[in-house]
Amino acid sequence: MSVILSLLLAIPFVGAIITLLMSGPREKLAKFVALVTTAITLIIALYTLTLGPSKYIDLDENFTWIKTANIQMNYALHIDGLSALMMFMTSLLVFITVIFSSTETDRPNYFHALLLAIEVGLMGVYLAADYFLFYIMWEVTLIPMFFMISWYGGPRKHYSAIKFFIYTHVASLVMLIGIFAMVFTAAHNGLANFSFIAVKNGFGGSALLQTAIFGLLFFGFIVKMPIVPFHTWLPDAHVEAPTAGSVLLAGVMLKMGSYGIIRICIEVFESSVLYNWQTVMIGLGVLSMIYGAYACIAQTDLKKMVAYSSVSHMGMVLLAIGCLSEIGIEFAVFQMFAHGLITAVLFMVCGLAGHNIGTREIPLLGGLAGKLPIWSFFMMFGFMASLGLPGLVGFVAEFGILYAFWEILAKMGGIYIVLIGLGMLSMMLTAGYYLWAMQRTLFGDTTDKIDLRSIHDVNKTEFIALSIVSCLIVLFGIWPSLATNVITSFSGGLL
Amino acid sequence: MKMIELAFLNDTFGTMLAIMPEIMLIIGALSIPGLFYFTKNKNMCATAALIAIILSGVFAGCVILDSTLSCTFMNIFKLDMFAAVMIFLFLIVAFLTVLASFASSELSNHVSEYYSLLLIATTGMLFVASANNLLVIFVGVECTSILSYALVALKKNDPRSSEAAVKYLIIGGISSGLVLYGISMLYGLTGSIDIAKIAHGLENMENLNAPFVIAVISLIAGYGFKISAVPFHMWAPDAYEGAATPVSMFLSTGSKKMGFVVLFKIFIVMFAVEQSVYAVEEMRYIFAFIATITMTIGNIVAILQKNIKRMLAYSSIAQAGYILIALAVMSEYAVTGGIFHMITHVFMKGGAFIVVGALIAAGIKENISDYKGLAKRAPIVAFAMLLFLFSLAGIPPLAGFASKFVLFSSAIVIDGVVRTQWMWLAIIAIINSAISLYYYAKVVKVMYIDSGECNEKIVIKKSHLVAILLCMVFVVAIGVYPEPIIKFCEGASGILFGKC
Repeated sequence: MSVILSLLLAIPFVGAIITLLMSGPREKLAKFVALVTTAITLIIALYTLTLGPSKYIDLDENFTWIKTANIQMNYALHIDGLSALMMFMTSLLVFITVIFSSTETDRPNYFHALLLAIEVGLMGVYLAADYFLFYIMWEVTLIPMFFMISWYGGPRKHYSAIKFFIYTHVASLVMLIGIFAMVFTAAHNGLANFSFIAVKNGFGGSALLQTAIFGLLFFGFIVKMPIVPFHTWLPDAHVEAPTAGSVLLAGVMLKMGSYGIIRICIEVFESSVLYNWQTVMIGLGVLSMIYGAYACIAQTDLKKMVAYSSVSHMGMVLLAIGCLSEIGIEFAVFQMFAHGLITAVLFMVCGLAGHNIGTREIPLLGGLAGKLPIWSFFMMFGFMASLGLPGLVGFVAEFGILYAFWEILAKMGGIYIVLIGLGMLSMMLTAGYYLWAMQRTLFGDTTDKIDLRSIHDVNKTEFIALSIVSCLIVLFGIWPSLATNVITSFSGGLL
Repeated sequence: MKMIELAFLNDTFGTMLAIMPEIMLIIGALSIPGLFYFTKNKNMCATAALIAIILSGVFAGCVILDSTLSCTFMNIFKLDMFAAVMIFLFLIVAFLTVLASFASSELSNHVSEYYSLLLIATTGMLFVASANNLLVIFVGVECTSILSYALVALKKNDPRSSEAAVKYLIIGGISSGLVLYGISMLYGLTGSIDIAKIAHGLENMENLNAPFVIAVISLIAGYGFKISAVPFHMWAPDAYEGAATPVSMFLSTGSKKMGFVVLFKIFIVMFAVEQSVYAVEEMRYIFAFIATITMTIGNIVAILQKNIKRMLAYSSIAQAGYILIALAVMSEYAVTGGIFHMITHVFMKGGAFIVVGALIAAGIKENISDYKGLAKRAPIVAFAMLLFLFSLAGIPPLAGFASKFVLFSSAIVIDGVVRTQWMWLAIIAIINSAISLYYYAKVVKVMYIDSGECNEKIVIKKSHLVAILLCMVFVVAIGVYPEPIIKFCEGASGILFGKC
């Protein structure tokens, strides 16, 4: 039995403990420990990803953890095309944030320990093949993120941290009821086995019960994603979180929600139940896309704007899942991946605006392209990638999602076909708010509202972090089949 | 369950084995005042108490490990798996209380009396756990209650302590009266005070009659006081606030569990097992209703508290509401969950009270706002408190999560099938868990995020530290690997449902 997947959990965990203990004079070394640990994790993740989908089955790990007369929980890890990609992205983004945050001076040992602890939780969510383990890991991500926001955040950090904690915790409790109901419905001979496979094989029951259980789980997931109208925790959390926190929050933590929908709702439930929920999924998805985009236009804070754009883009993921077609799922996963890379650039750029310029308020900025060329380049690049410029990774994802949406509209025929216009509208709005924001910050007359002598451009480590992600955005934009090959191994034959 | 072969104990002690744990405690309780008279050493008394508790625990532990040892003494005391698990639980409570009392600054000079009272109060609980006769149960409960009035009043210089004791005494007296009335009604109906015989007698009862209803209501109300279920909870916050912290901990983790043991014995063994008994269904709805209001009111009022002991008291009330789910669902799995939650509650709530006591001993006041900047001043204690509070809120992978997991899931699955009958109760409980997170997280925020005016390190006494670490280890270990404990709980609830 292979231990590679356990290593992906164990290495960051050990790293977190070591960095946590490096207090006092050794705290400067913490970032090196964090860098080494995340680098090793990234290498293992990359190696695992490149093994190819046919080999993934060899990596399974399965041990009985708790077994009593009524229940059995397992320490079970499993990867397939979906989780391999998410796991790779987690290790990549944590590595990038560690590079990016090397200038953190306030208790760097705790900071890096929290980053590594978040990595453990996220890896656990994506690797778990048992509902008990899945739920534990789902909650494990919460506490370090809570401290990350409330120790290293902005002025309203306490309010945001508590709001984030309570919102997502309530949602996960609702999800827990759903998990109970699902696992116990699938129980065989009175023994409820929490492993994914056992539940998938044993799950049944009346259509009404299944529809209700789907609803509980779905609620838990869409709050995490977040989908309008349960999105209000996200802008607050993002605006107050430190840059590293925002990158991980938007880049990988939001994906936990959509991952959950695909992994649990789509994989386990019968297609008739899924079709009962299809309208809701598509409706909420489109609502989020358009509401998020409109909200972006109104923002004056760059970071808040990017936060709302996440709502809009995650709405796209839900729309793609709601299409309930293979191509829909495939591009939903691709969009999750693309959005992870792109928001990493966007949040790093916004974070730098706060650090290097001193403000993120759009009305105070202007004409910075000449003053800060490198920063301006990455900002433009990020915005372009996010609005779906062909040749970059965002375009491929949006193209595929619109295609999937078109496909189901065409099937319904008649007047429904005009609904594709809603998707188009959101893309137009996206282009609009990004270009407008760019115009106001980078071009035009140089601002006189801030002290231009104190601003400085991107430093070396930040440049490295930004360019690694940017290169990947171009690479996967030109050569998407690198990722889609892995995804189709999962999405093909799912429905 | 038979893990090791201990049959020789049966040969040595005969049926006396059934009351050996109690005998050990009584010997300890009686010798402590003499010991103090001769040595005048406080720590000596505490050590003697610990030794008595450990000796008593050895006997209970033997029965847990080899359940074939279970035996009956004079048809009154039956030391079976359920009794042994509960006895062990009470002994852990007493052990932690003694450890927390070593360095407590709140106890007056009556040290030897204090330990003596504590051990006899524990003995009362042990009697309740192993008795199978309503009158003996009543005597055991009274033994514990009367001594706890004295324990609450022990902080003689503090008027709050005396006030709390008087309040507790009056309410406790009323509840005892109610219970006795209920027992007399049952005796009138069935002609027996033996639980098994009453169950048999009730089986033949044909329709609902007034004495039966009165008996059930007065038993629920009387023991509702003991477990501080809403609306019988008013005494708890005052008593916990007024008493010395180790005593608050003893009341919250120990004497409340005794109330549950009695309720399990009466309502599971006497009524639920014989499904034919009239009005069982109605009783379950009464318990479900009490559980709902208990957890909701406990949690909502806890949010408003500024004093940490009062907050913990209300959170205890809420936890009692969760455990009441077991009585509403009345399945074997639910009772397993109830017992499991009682066990984890001892470590997490006990741990939190020990932290409060240790900080009082170090000169920190009882208000939540006094804990500002605690993470810097006492990192280990603050971290322990964080674990206890998150465990109480049910955050994985801590013990509180594991036990809530079993308890709440038992409301959804009954006899291995998903039933919708009690699903609403699980949903209410889960919403309550979410509410509770708010006030627990507020304390964590005060400790970790707010900065206080004073940055001096706090020195914690060794005995407190040992007790805190002990609780911490159990909170984490049970959370990560709960299987053995669940096995014992299953064994215990199996006994209640008449399996061997």
